[in-house]
Amino acid sequence: MTKRFLTGGLCLAAALMAAPSARAMDAISVAADSCAGCHGTDGRSLGTMPAFHEKKPAELKQILREYKSGKREATIMDRIVKGYSEAQLDAMVDYYTAKK
Amino acid sequence: MTNISRRTFNGLLGAVGAASTFGITGCFGAERVVVVGGGFGGATAAKYLKRYNPSLDVTMIDAEKSHFTCPFSNTVLAGMNTMSFIERKFDALASKHGVKVVHGTVTMIDGAAKKVITADGQSFAYDKCIVSPGIDMKWGALPGYDEAASHIMTHAWKAGPQTVLLHKQLEAMPDGGHVIISSPGNPFRCPPGPYERASLIAHYIKTKKPKSKVIILDSKDDFAKSGLFKEGWEKMYEKHLEWVPAAKGGKVASVDAKAGVVATDFDKFKPSVANIIPPQTAGVVAIKSGLADKSGFCPVDRNTFESTQVKDVYVIGDSCIADAMPKSGYSASSQAKVASAAVVASLKGMPAVPFSAINTCYSLVNPDYGISVAAVYEVKDGKIAGVAGSGGVSPKGANAQFRKKEADFASGWYASISQDTWG
Repeated sequence: MTKRFLTGGLCLAAALMAAPSARAMDAISVAADSCAGCHGTDGRSLGTMPAFHEKKPAELKQILREYKSGKREATIMDRIVKGYSEAQLDAMVDYYTAKK
Repeated sequence: MTNISRRTFNGLLGAVGAASTFGITGCFGAERVVVVGGGFGGATAAKYLKRYNPSLDVTMIDAEKSHFTCPFSNTVLAGMNTMSFIERKFDALASKHGVKVVHGTVTMIDGAAKKVITADGQSFAYDKCIVSPGIDMKWGALPGYDEAASHIMTHAWKAGPQTVLLHKQLEAMPDGGHVIISSPGNPFRCPPGPYERASLIAHYIKTKKPKSKVIILDSKDDFAKSGLFKEGWEKMYEKHLEWVPAAKGGKVASVDAKAGVVATDFDKFKPSVANIIPPQTAGVVAIKSGLADKSGFCPVDRNTFESTQVKDVYVIGDSCIADAMPKSGYSASSQAKVASAAVVASLKGMPAVPFSAINTCYSLVNPDYGISVAAVYEVKDGKIAGVAGSGGVSPKGANAQFRKKEADFASGWYASISQDTWG
């Protein structure tokens, strides 16, 4: 009983503190989250892969379009962007560059 | 809860307002998701379940206290990295993401009672369960190769003590010794893995034991990224690496570990070091829990990864049947996000988020020579397929600078996916 009471109290305390809010979970955000394997959670890459959480949306959108058209040289992104429409790519950029 | 404690609790609630105001359901009556396995699939699922719905009660159970990754384990064999480089701890999943991490060996997922049982007798009730146990060896499928044999002739197809043992064997091998790698038929974990392993062992040999040689005895006539591997081998390992396809008698028919013999239908070899990568199945816990079909792997609804055999259990990673998606760490991690979103949506009574997944996979032919394969996946006619026009391998005939870039990106890939999965 005491333990349960304590748990209840702790839970209330936890609920009163700023609890983490749920992240977006829709067609675009879940598709975009699959990019995080290479670019880090929320695009915060730590290594040699480009990070994109601090990039400007317009710049990122332009880069992805250039990978798609073949204008920009790539080692791997040319093969990946072709799996998405331009509208999808733009929406994924908006997801990553939105202030969180 | 007893009457007294319920009253006490209600009193507390009354003091601060209505339960719903504070999202108190997150503590009492929170939906429970149990994740089996702490590898790429399981750890990503645990983290992303909490991301998509922080109020879920998520428990992740793994038999080990940390996870040694198969990706980059070949660099350990070649002496480029140590075991600590490929060790991933579970601390951040608990401290940063609020996952309950349990150290225990799951013996059964009881789909009827909706609970997960561990070897020490504990029982974990769930509303949904995500199962990501990786592969297990199909002992005996290759005559002579059982668990006891693997302590002499390693498989090293799960990173850990097997990696350490194979590395020691390579170090102890005299200059002039031969290494045999037996590569299995499809499907198996990490399709380009045996060939990256042969490459990095060849690199080690060329540098440290130049009279030695690595021979791949293959049960197949083709393999993942074969054009790129062969191009690299011709440039770098003409004297140090030989690939024998099935059509040329490469299929290993049996082994005698104690005698040190690896036999094909045509030849008997007695190498200094034998690395036998045997046929594989879904993790045995998935098979024992009724999740696998006759193929030895687990059929799932391709949109959600929910088992087609046991309701409310989702199977991801190497254990599941995912059609065009290879059995890789990246696939498992990408599938984990789709499955987590499907679990969260289902618990809220919402329709599943549409499937979208990626695989990217780098292999090193030498420390400065990387090659890659990638694809974007969708569900088409009930099967997972590459999106038309996307994906494929990196170009053949690329210059040294391009290959170096891919090798550098291989390291970046590893840093990012490690962070995204366990960080």
